[in-house]
Amino acid sequence: MHTVTPMTAEELTKLMQRVAARDRTAFASLYAATSGKLYGVVLRIVNRRDLADEILQEVYVKIWERAGDFDARRASPITWMATIARNRALDEARKVKPVSLEDMPAGFDVVSDAPLALDLLMRSEDGRRLSDCLQRLDAEKRDVVVQAYLHGLSREDLGKRFDRPVPTIKTWLHRSLAQLKDCLAA
Amino acid sequence: MTGPAERDALAAEYALGTLDAAERAVVSLRMTKEPELSAAITEWENRLAPLSYLIEPVAPPVELAKKIEQKVAAATFGAITPGALPQPVSVVDLDVERRLRRWRGIGIGASALAASLALFIGVREAGRPATNQNFVAVFQKDDASPSFVMSVDLASRTLSVKRVAAEVPSGKTYQLWIASDQLGVGPQSLGLVEQGSDVKQAIARIDPGIVQNALFGVSLEPAGGSPTGKPTGPVFHAKLIPTAQ
Repeated sequence: MHTVTPMTAEELTKLMQRVAARDRTAFASLYAATSGKLYGVVLRIVNRRDLADEILQEVYVKIWERAGDFDARRASPITWMATIARNRALDEARKVKPVSLEDMPAGFDVVSDAPLALDLLMRSEDGRRLSDCLQRLDAEKRDVVVQAYLHGLSREDLGKRFDRPVPTIKTWLHRSLAQLKDCLAA
Repeated sequence: MTGPAERDALAAEYALGTLDAAERAVVSLRMTKEPELSAAITEWENRLAPLSYLIEPVAPPVELAKKIEQKVAAATFGAITPGALPQPVSVVDLDVERRLRRWRGIGIGASALAASLALFIGVREAGRPATNQNFVAVFQKDDASPSFVMSVDLASRTLSVKRVAAEVPSGKTYQLWIASDQLGVGPQSLGLVEQGSDVKQAIARIDPGIVQNALFGVSLEPAGGSPTGKPTGPVFHAKLIPTAQ
């Protein structure tokens, strides 16, 4: 698989403006530049190719319809698009009783004893800051937050995976997220 | 009334993705009417966004591009403008955690109506002052499956139903019902909940006092609606919960 040169936020924003003006060529470029990322995000959460295929179609139709709502002051284009994809995938994941963790297909080896490689966050300034703040959480609590995000896990799923009661998970999440917020604001 | 700390915790968990289906449905309704909640969620989405750098891109199947192109072409002819998308009508500002827990305790299903009604007394006790005009109801099969979410605005006499997780078997449709002793014997139809769309209905013909205390149901019916004028398929029941305002 060849990699597409990532576009900058500015380039994507310009494309988005053209998409909002109903430019189908711009939409095709936007798809080429972002579909791999969005498909990766969705697939991680729903763990099923057939569902991911359907969701990706809906997501891009929604991006086409809502491109005019995109506001570069509120979010980067890729965050805006990835959020649409995540939310759609999360709704689906909650709807179909999530595949039990043991059933996850090979290739989605999500439970790992290896420490989470947060190095990839170092690519960007905001990623570095988030990584620094995540490092300040206890290892297990950090894993709860990161795994929840990447795999779209509910509190119940997290309780099973980390072998903790759900109320404990909830307390951890609230504390960790509040701590992250403070750290990022510092 | 939820305070800023609870609101932020809810926004954070919504953005992180750890809420269950019913909680997600309620938050997505609230977002449309609560700018602070909506803004808090956007902030959290931005804070957490770098985590997606950890996800390796995966090339989607080649044929998806063509399918999306076709759908986009169809959507364009359908002239859907961004501002014209249907919005739920009701303000929903309830203490999500507590109320959803209560709903779960009730365990609404196709089970006995009488039992549900007896349990609803608990909900009524938690009711807010009668000045409130906004209500919400969650129709659900079980904890993880809110099938429909309904919001009612008595001030404008409108209700909207949003299909959340209910599957629509082919050749079938869902129908919305209202039941109250004051409306006669048995449920009265409020119309069909058409596939894939949110439904807005005017309820001007029904007295608000009756609406407020009625029992609502969504039943699975043959396409075109119940042939008998009464529910014929399995029914999800729900009552209105006042929202804090």
